[in-house]
Amino acid sequence: MKKNLRWKLILILFVIALSIFLIYPPKDKIKLGLDLKGGTHLVLQVMTDDAINAETDQQIARFEEVFKKNNVTYTEAAKEKPGRFHFKGINADQEGKVRDLIDQYTRDWDYSFSGDTVTFNLKPTAEQFLRDQAVIQTLETIRNRVDQFGVAEPIIQRQGSDRIVVELPGIEDPERVKNLIKVTAVLEFKLVKAGPAPDEETLLQPYGGKVPEDAEVVKGDPKRGHQGFYLVSKVASITGKDLRTVRRGTDEWNNPAVHFTLTPDGARRFEKVTGENVGKQLAIILDGKLQSAPVINSRISDSGIIQGPFTPEEADDLVVILKAGALPAGIKYLEERTVGPTLGADSIRQGLAAGLVAIFAVMAFMLFYYKLSGVNAIVALFLNELIIFAALSYFKATLTLPGIAGIILGIGMAVDANILIFERIKEELALGKNVFSAINNGFSRAFTAIFDSNLTTIISAIFLFQFGTGPIKGYAVTITCSLVANLFTAVFVSRFIFELIVPNNAKRLSI
Amino acid sequence: MDIFKKTPNIDWLKFKWIALGLTTLIILAGILNITLGKGLKMGVDFGEGTLIRIKFKEPSSVSDIRKRLNEVGLGRSIIQETGKDGREFQIRTVEVKTTRQDQTQELESHQVLANKVIEALQKKEDQEKIARGLLDLNNIDHKTIASLLSQAFPEKSEELAQKIIEFRRQNGLITDWNELKKEPYSLDDQVISFLQQKTFLGSMTVLSRETVGPQVGKDLRKRATQAIIWSLMAMLVYIAFRFKGVEYGAAAIFTLFQDVLIALSIYSFTNREINLPIIAALLTIVGYSINDTIIVFDRIRELKRTLRKEPLEKIMNLSINLNLTRTIFTSGTTFLAVLALYLFGGKVINDFAFIMLIGSVEGVYSTFFMSCPVVLFWNSLFKKKK
Repeated sequence: MKKNLRWKLILILFVIALSIFLIYPPKDKIKLGLDLKGGTHLVLQVMTDDAINAETDQQIARFEEVFKKNNVTYTEAAKEKPGRFHFKGINADQEGKVRDLIDQYTRDWDYSFSGDTVTFNLKPTAEQFLRDQAVIQTLETIRNRVDQFGVAEPIIQRQGSDRIVVELPGIEDPERVKNLIKVTAVLEFKLVKAGPAPDEETLLQPYGGKVPEDAEVVKGDPKRGHQGFYLVSKVASITGKDLRTVRRGTDEWNNPAVHFTLTPDGARRFEKVTGENVGKQLAIILDGKLQSAPVINSRISDSGIIQGPFTPEEADDLVVILKAGALPAGIKYLEERTVGPTLGADSIRQGLAAGLVAIFAVMAFMLFYYKLSGVNAIVALFLNELIIFAALSYFKATLTLPGIAGIILGIGMAVDANILIFERIKEELALGKNVFSAINNGFSRAFTAIFDSNLTTIISAIFLFQFGTGPIKGYAVTITCSLVANLFTAVFVSRFIFELIVPNNAKRLSI
Repeated sequence: MDIFKKTPNIDWLKFKWIALGLTTLIILAGILNITLGKGLKMGVDFGEGTLIRIKFKEPSSVSDIRKRLNEVGLGRSIIQETGKDGREFQIRTVEVKTTRQDQTQELESHQVLANKVIEALQKKEDQEKIARGLLDLNNIDHKTIASLLSQAFPEKSEELAQKIIEFRRQNGLITDWNELKKEPYSLDDQVISFLQQKTFLGSMTVLSRETVGPQVGKDLRKRATQAIIWSLMAMLVYIAFRFKGVEYGAAAIFTLFQDVLIALSIYSFTNREINLPIIAALLTIVGYSINDTIIVFDRIRELKRTLRKEPLEKIMNLSINLNLTRTIFTSGTTFLAVLALYLFGGKVINDFAFIMLIGSVEGVYSTFFMSCPVVLFWNSLFKKKK
């Protein structure tokens, strides 16, 4: 064997060995997209306005307190829109004091005086930060919830400024998990002042039709068997943040219920509230809906039960969301794609069938038309397929259905290079060149055309990858891998095989 | 072996008027159809409705499904049979008219429609069973099955659930309890009788459901447009770089637009929808077809140097004839592969395969019949005045 051939052989064997090493075992190495293995793909939007709104409310409450403490009088404090509020009716001689106080207490808000009104505007940088934080926290909370729920290998990623992509393999009935992700999960314990009443008017009659300043109205959750309206204290005794542990258990009648324990700080406050209000009702409120309103029988310190009626699944889900914490902002679903196990398996089967038919058709054609040289092309074709899968597993790319289409299309395109070379060799032979130089010229002269043709297709694949979504990215990846591998297999390997098999002084070539 | 004993001597340019006429006809018909006729239908990817694929236990028909959908006021949905045994169908709900206020809720309203479709197609007895608290074993997922089984078989619930899902993966849906007892699933009688108490075998299963809300739909439209614009631009840069003569560059660009327009025109006459894979196919067609043209043009330049005396028309014909075999064969092998995909690749990828089929034939047509005449037209328009 000639020396340069030996090196080529070593290189080719190395590539084959490396490819097999990268692919083996294929079950673990080749990642399948949701369209092939089944599962749910969700895109949701974080309503970051909620976070701005909450911040605005907090600031108003804070300055009300600050002004009260420093004897600043005003007639009205009002939110104009999220990120903008004002205090009206401030005495002219207190303006300086107010400016000092604002400078002292906040850097995130711009303010301006006009007459007796000071208007606060959230700074754009602070607003951006708040929105960003809301998305990050939402993402973390969703991740916690999905982990607690127990999904194997979920993908939860931020997309753009305020979107989150959630991919849940093996979940084909997404309603439950969708609800689980969507609930805001703000848990509050508040004292019941009155209720239940069938409507708000009846409820507020004893109070002259107006909601007292220290109270608010909540609705019962019909799912938990509470229909009417309740008047509860405005300030929560404890909230979801005070929970230390949450687990599913049963109540005294053996129905599903949720048990919780409190942090030391939460327990102290809870003990005080329950101790002072024995005999009264305590409302357990989730996302503004009253879940239950048990009577406080005695002082409770650090643990308690939330009673249903729950189904076992509902109790489980409540545990999950209470453990994972509340969402800082509401979310909205933008896209939902669910693929069941059957369709994914069908797609793989059909893709495999189409791929095999394509390979055999192309093989038959190459053998029929180029005879023994066709074998050369077929070896290159198989090596090409091997390298595609090796590249897929090396780049940890996901194989999708369009990706399979790309591979099959690649089967047809991979032999193009061989055809270009073989036709050129034939032309050279027809011109009376000997076999050796015909092969040499064929390869060197066809190369530009091969490079050109692969390049134009790769150009469009690159932009598809840039702008495409998951499945299309899979297509762009496989077609690009196929065409790049093609330069190695059809040009380098194919030529090696000719050099190895066809003697230098050969008189005829089977082509 | 050669298909042509020697280089053929076909006068391709003789057909230039016919070819131009045919191209114009196809594109004109396409444009008329797209603008005034039924137009290009945008698919679910671009925010239009919901696509549901279902499989029934017993064979059904499009007219039967339409009848049932009509009862709930969704008779306008597009219904297609996708399997071979009359059990698999694809239903696409048609866009709901919504006011602007509703638009934020549009994804939900799509989903409401999808739920309505599924409900309408389910048998009455299925719904009664669900109302009684039974679970539909043909539709619940692995997790739900596992947690159900853990009530009675805590040790092997995961394994059992896996077997049931595997059965559905292989067969679509369970039609008979006895099927689960057979190898290789071999669930024992205890498990089966527990499942019979808690679940039932629904009359259909939902194979897939896709809904894209208007916001993401708009976003995907934008991305698709960007992908098209950028790759066409890159193609133009490539052409400008690759060709010195303006007339050849112009012809290559013309070919590029013709590829897209002809493929879209023919596509518009089918009942198929435009989704992201179709955009991918169009760009691939453009990249792939421009090569043949480039190869012919390269040959023309080469021959112009050696055959100075010959008229350009003759050189063009010779160039095409010299490249005849390889142009036909390179596209031919791709055509074979795409044909395999079209025939055996399944419904989901069928539209993609279809437009690729058009593209691979059209690419050869444009190389043989259109690219060279465009150079001649360009010359007669701009170069005569010299």
